[in-house]
Amino acid sequence: MKDRTRPSLLALGLMASLTASAAGVRSPGMLANTCAGCHGTLGASAGEQMPSIAGMDNGYLFSVLSDYKTGLRRSTIMGRLMKGYSDQEIWAIAAFFAEQPWVSTDRVARADQIRVGREIHERQCESCHEDAGRAQDDDSPRMAGQWSGYLNYALETCRDIGRRCHPNKMGERVMALSDQEIEALARFYESEK
Amino acid sequence: MTDVQRRAFLKSSAVALGAAMLGVSPGMSAATPKARVLVVGGGFGGTIAAKYLTMADPLIRVTLIEKDPVFLSCAMSNEVLSGERDLKDLTFNYRGLARRGIAVVQDEIQEIDPVAHFIRGTSGNRYNYDKLILSPGVSFRWDKIDGLTQEVAERFPHAWKAGPQTLKLRRQLEGMEDGGVFIIAAPPNPFRCPPGPYERAAQVAHYFKQHKPKSKILILDAKDAFSKQGLFQAGWKQHYGDMIEWVSGAAGGSVEGIDPKTGTLIGPVEDFPGQVINPIPHQKAGALAELAGLTDASGWCPVDQRTFASTLHPDIHVIGDACIAGAMPKSGYAANSQAKVCAAAIAAAVSGMPTPEPSYVNTCYSLIAPGHGISVAGVYALADGRIVEVEGAGGVSPSDADARIRAVEARFAHDWFRNITADMFT
Repeated sequence: MKDRTRPSLLALGLMASLTASAAGVRSPGMLANTCAGCHGTLGASAGEQMPSIAGMDNGYLFSVLSDYKTGLRRSTIMGRLMKGYSDQEIWAIAAFFAEQPWVSTDRVARADQIRVGREIHERQCESCHEDAGRAQDDDSPRMAGQWSGYLNYALETCRDIGRRCHPNKMGERVMALSDQEIEALARFYESEK
Repeated sequence: MTDVQRRAFLKSSAVALGAAMLGVSPGMSAATPKARVLVVGGGFGGTIAAKYLTMADPLIRVTLIEKDPVFLSCAMSNEVLSGERDLKDLTFNYRGLARRGIAVVQDEIQEIDPVAHFIRGTSGNRYNYDKLILSPGVSFRWDKIDGLTQEVAERFPHAWKAGPQTLKLRRQLEGMEDGGVFIIAAPPNPFRCPPGPYERAAQVAHYFKQHKPKSKILILDAKDAFSKQGLFQAGWKQHYGDMIEWVSGAAGGSVEGIDPKTGTLIGPVEDFPGQVINPIPHQKAGALAELAGLTDASGWCPVDQRTFASTLHPDIHVIGDACIAGAMPKSGYAANSQAKVCAAAIAAAVSGMPTPEPSYVNTCYSLIAPGHGISVAGVYALADGRIVEVEGAGGVSPSDADARIRAVEARFAHDWFRNITADMFT
């Protein structure tokens, strides 16, 4: 696991922004609750392509949301939304969701899908996504218990853009996967809780 | 059981539910809540206001009063018209909110006393409040289209409130012969769900394409432009050729009357006979808002856009379609967002805290065909007391998106519905 200094620095930054909340500063909860209509109450999604974001690493969320804003990360709607917030507000949104408890889906895939998915995971993914996708840090999101609809979509998007996927070694590895393998991998992570 | 007994029973069961909730948090007394907040209207706005108030401060006693036993969503009801979805899938109950400690009461409010701070229902029950939140939705202006009365609308359904009207329109479409003309009369702004009439045209076209391919769809519009217009028109063309024709207000589309005998809509230039007619009435704030004296000359409710407190009666807040909310459209997501801002403002006020700085969002998806979704998003802030769109953010799906993006947005449309209803009812 990587060191955890960055998240705590993020928290300090958030405190600084909160103390300045006299005029015009919107609280993390005020900003983040607007997301729940699509990502579920407090970021625990009801499915299927909308990812749960509650309990994600705040450094990871901050960089993903920022990349939506700049367009570095492709999106359908997230870019349009994130352009409406300052970097400090995006920081606050990320920190708010990072504070919430992770909620896994209650789905469990078929045994054959899990077997294929686990093989791919152990061969190609585990060096970064440790503990069956339970471990997370500012570069790797939690995937265990995430909606397979979202994982599938994220993996397909990564495969489409290949080396431009961030980090690019992820793109290289996903490029070789078939639709069925991506589906199995997504189901495997969803089944881990 | 006599009425009086039933009334007493209802009252005591509501109290019992409240007490059960209060038992959850130690140190609280049922007798001394921090504030009594009533929420009237259990739709996209009211459910969220009730839930987020209890989340913000469990010491606030929240009661949600709704006239119907279940909620029927207008969002996604165009898919019932195309046959892609069952009305059952749009039906939700209030048990999840009751489990959160909200007292959910079925009653229809018929009296509001803003001075004495109480409301009364048709049950005869009187409910006292410190703060009242109304989320009454829209009502129809029956005086705008000549001959279109509530009674006539039973034969020519608007289907702009989901339920029996939706099913009636579906049956009429099913009964129509191939080669018939289906006419939608789209209302002037502002009205509930700005992209709704145009999504409806697409969904009905999807049904016709499979079952009645020689049929036509005519949209007679009071307006000269509409929401996501470019995306809709391109999508109609792509999937349905020239099946759908849109007549703008300037081109004579503004419907002035209906002849119920012949099933004809009367325009300023020509008349339009159709086999199935769907006149969507002009709209104003829900009847409850008018009853309470919360509307202005426009028919909608002026509010402090920071808190949604009525500018006419400050201890009554109005959220959702009924209120005047600056640049925000009258959509389910807007109501959801406004409810959260309103709940945060009330939670702060009853604790003597400063009013929080608000943040609002709207996202709205429309389905042109299975696997073809489009969206509009808006991010909003308060500026000089008015809700304004944050510049550089928001907007509609790109016009040149490929089929894969359209398919992704179609799936997001269904996930939007899954999540926004989970936010409301769980």
